[in-house]
Amino acid sequence: MTIVAEGTTGEGSAATEQAAGTSWARLSRPALGLLLPVTLAVAWEIIVRMGFASGRLVPPPSVVFATFADLARSGDLQRDTLVTLGRVAAGFGFGVAAATILGAAAGYSPLIRRLLDPTLQALRAIPSIAWVPLFILWLGIFEASKVTLIAAGVFFPIYLGLMGAIQSVDRKLVEVGRAFRLSDIEMVYRILLPAVLPAYVISLRSGLGVGWMFVVAAEFMGASEGLGYLLIDGQQLGKPAEIVAAIVAFAIVGKASDWLIALAATPFLRWEDVVRQD
Amino acid sequence: MQSRRGFLGTAVGAGLIPLSLPSLARAADKPSEIRIDWATYNPVSMVLKQNGLLEKEFGKDGIGVRWVQSLGSNKALEFLNASSIDFGSTAGSAALLGRINGNPIKSVYVYSRPEWTALVTRKDTSISKIEDLKGKRVAVTRGTDPHIFLVRALQSVGLSEKDIVPVLLQHPDGKIALIRGDVDAWAGLDPMMAAAQIEDGARLFYRNKAANTYGILNASEDFLKKYPDLTKRVLGVYEDARKYCLGHYDDEKRVFMDVTKLPEAVVDIQLKERTELTFNRIGPEQRDTILQAGLALQQAGVIQASVDVKKTLDDLVDDRFVTAA
Repeated sequence: MTIVAEGTTGEGSAATEQAAGTSWARLSRPALGLLLPVTLAVAWEIIVRMGFASGRLVPPPSVVFATFADLARSGDLQRDTLVTLGRVAAGFGFGVAAATILGAAAGYSPLIRRLLDPTLQALRAIPSIAWVPLFILWLGIFEASKVTLIAAGVFFPIYLGLMGAIQSVDRKLVEVGRAFRLSDIEMVYRILLPAVLPAYVISLRSGLGVGWMFVVAAEFMGASEGLGYLLIDGQQLGKPAEIVAAIVAFAIVGKASDWLIALAATPFLRWEDVVRQD
Repeated sequence: MQSRRGFLGTAVGAGLIPLSLPSLARAADKPSEIRIDWATYNPVSMVLKQNGLLEKEFGKDGIGVRWVQSLGSNKALEFLNASSIDFGSTAGSAALLGRINGNPIKSVYVYSRPEWTALVTRKDTSISKIEDLKGKRVAVTRGTDPHIFLVRALQSVGLSEKDIVPVLLQHPDGKIALIRGDVDAWAGLDPMMAAAQIEDGARLFYRNKAANTYGILNASEDFLKKYPDLTKRVLGVYEDARKYCLGHYDDEKRVFMDVTKLPEAVVDIQLKERTELTFNRIGPEQRDTILQAGLALQQAGVIQASVDVKKTLDDLVDDRFVTAA
């Protein structure tokens, strides 16, 4: 955004310069982020090619890519990715629904908060992975227990984030609403909801991150498909390249889903008047 | 800032260790400890461990012994691959599969000839033959003898792993999943399999002793190269323990029961009925059994067509370290 300072030099040239500047920035910014991983990958490839390391336990990028391509060709990669995506989506859906209802209720009504919050906070203190043995006993090792585990993981950050956001809505905003004699529904729609949304979106994103974390734990419980299954298959057969391929797939899908949430939320957050540094 | 630098230092250090370790170790003429696994599917290893035989042998040289439990061939191979142990117990065919997947190991010794795997189902299922597995959930640990046994069994009736729904679970979890009803069948492994039979009435609906590929002890190539004499001594102690077990079944059983806490009836099935301890060298008979398993796996597509199974087996087996029985 340094370009803006040059706005005085003349309208026409500033506009073109700004356009050129933005497109350059648009290209260079992701490139800058890629610099470190790409350099490391290329360096590792070279080290392995030159025989300084065997690359047996840490396969070089070319081998990982070949494994990736093989898995994609056989259709395993697509199937496993879709299955895992489905599990995360289901768990995330249930988690978000429960957390939104309870978080909103607890944030809005002091009575519900006093009733509910201590129990939920106590449950939150239990690392969710500790539930795994119980979930297996209660729900078996297949979809029900996997989705429940993911939902349990997703629930807490969102519940906490939403409740906190509702409680910390600026009193001045609410008073402005009152001064304009907004009805209750208008109050929620025009004041509370926009005020809560930024924190809610952040909590959704961290909830989704937890969801991706937990789907691996869930698929470690025993699975016949999914990226976690691919991981275990690679582990049991001693194929590090397959493990790395599964991890890369996790990274791509995880990042893409996070980006989707951020993208979907942008129109709702337009009103925010904040310092942006990107 | 301090802690971050500490973390970075550790990360960088951890990255360099694999490069620098071999040269450091080569400087020493003996290791500070020998790392070896024990497993419930390898009764001799339990006698070794409980009676402290290796500790006695190597204590005089100031070499320690570190024991690690393997829950299956896949775990032993994983530990060997990561240089976490020097000696690991697997099935013969599992070692071959590991070697094909790039694991730098050598098979050096036969610790048992077991019938440790079979296809198992609950007493209340309708499964009675291999064909019935079509479309069913089957618990299995990839990279182990039960997995290889399952693939070959399916192949014998014209099926493949694609016709069933494999559920990847470590052996003990596979048994639990079967008993709970999460899966319909399980490629079992003793002693869990014997326990499922006795305690839960599970049925072994397909058995084939000839397709069990011997209990094989493997060593990392690195260790063999650096310490051939120590390897000979380790196998010598293994021989003593094996012979002791042959002559003292009750002692062997007691040790086994102490560690596993399994009832006598279960232990008797595994040790008396299904384990022979009369072999030590990986001879032609053992090689052939492992080779047949490898070729069958290749036909089933588990091993790629481009792999020379026979040559890999020749690279894998190294029977020079067993002193004449």
